[in-house]
Amino acid sequence: MQRRKYIVSDKMSDLISENYFLIQVISRFGIKVGVGDKSVSEVCEKFGVDCTTFLTVVNFIQDGYSKVENLSELSVTSLIDYLKQSHIYFLEYCLPAIRRKLVEGITLSSEDVSFLILKFFDEYTSEVRLHMEHEEQSVFAYVNRLISGEVEDDYKISTYSDHHEQVGNKLKELKNILIRYCPNNADVNLLNDALYDIYRCEQELESHCMIEDYVFTPAVMKLERRVKDNER
Amino acid sequence: MSGNDKLHIIVAETSPIIGNGILHCLSIIPDMQIKVVEVNTYADLVDCIKSTNPEIVIVNPTFGGSFDPQQLKADANREYKLMAIEVGVMDKHARSLYDATLSIVDDLKTMTQKVKELIKSDDEPTDDKETLSQREKEIIRLVVKGLTNKEIADELYLSVYTVNTHRRNISRKLEIHSATGLTIYAIVNQLVDLSEIKM
Repeated sequence: MQRRKYIVSDKMSDLISENYFLIQVISRFGIKVGVGDKSVSEVCEKFGVDCTTFLTVVNFIQDGYSKVENLSELSVTSLIDYLKQSHIYFLEYCLPAIRRKLVEGITLSSEDVSFLILKFFDEYTSEVRLHMEHEEQSVFAYVNRLISGEVEDDYKISTYSDHHEQVGNKLKELKNILIRYCPNNADVNLLNDALYDIYRCEQELESHCMIEDYVFTPAVMKLERRVKDNER
Repeated sequence: MSGNDKLHIIVAETSPIIGNGILHCLSIIPDMQIKVVEVNTYADLVDCIKSTNPEIVIVNPTFGGSFDPQQLKADANREYKLMAIEVGVMDKHARSLYDATLSIVDDLKTMTQKVKELIKSDDEPTDDKETLSQREKEIIRLVVKGLTNKEIADELYLSVYTVNTHRRNISRKLEIHSATGLTIYAIVNQLVDLSEIKM
């Protein structure tokens, strides 16, 4: 669906109330609700967030990931903060919550596959954790060095997108397994709840990857060029 | 193809009437999952091609003032099919620089055919809803019991290569790629008993 694009002078409260799914996005940028009647730019300033970066991400998400713009004017630091917060959300909140629901809903018996479903989930979680740790330890660390002006010839951000595709597929597999092979004695409400959470988590992960691929990585490429030009 | 087997397209078009029209049409093409993103500067086009490896790039030949297909190939340094948005009339030479052209008067059927033509591969078309063969079930049983591909090959008098092919087909048919996932499948479908599994 096409929605209107938000600009700096819009009220932050309108932006939030018209798109409740942006609540997550806003808090990952470090902005807290209770924004009063302030405009987008005033709220961004108050919380020390780069306004162009904020609006680029917000507009990209709310129009269904179909357009990117202003990529040359983005604050890579703000983007890293955003991506780190969303890592914390997945690893510390979203995945553990799903696991709790699975444990309560399906492991009532040891006679069936429920322990394997949990094993599958734990394997999945550790894969996501590894992937995100890799991003923080090598990718974000590299970009931070780049921000401080260091040039490295052996590593480029363009190598990064190659690492980064299986995480979503495995969640799809988990969903399929639950839908097709979940033991019949599972608690229906808890299982449904877990499935809803998995679908939402899948969407959020997809969103996260879209922002990494279409906003963060191109923004870093531009930074790489600027840093190299300064060297000369 | 990457990710969830979605076809991945980048559109470079500055007119919102044409750009939004293309985004919309691509989103309603029947039985194709398409992920499409629009960019509005040449630098963003190059960087997004580099960071996302799209299968198709659709571009207006007037994009960014004057657009040079060969320059884009050199700058982006990736494999993709290039499709021109034909707004006016393009001469033969201009057309020859693109893999295909998409006219703004094309109907949805023609547009669908052109997109499918561009990504046509030499692979045999495969039916995802096929059921497993006896041999494939036998292989699942052995995988789940913890045998390596080499051991499975020895057990069934097959080559390791054949075992690999079977395993790929199994993954495709079941949409399951991990050993734990296969174990769940095998138990639910009674190919193995819980007690036979080596954990």
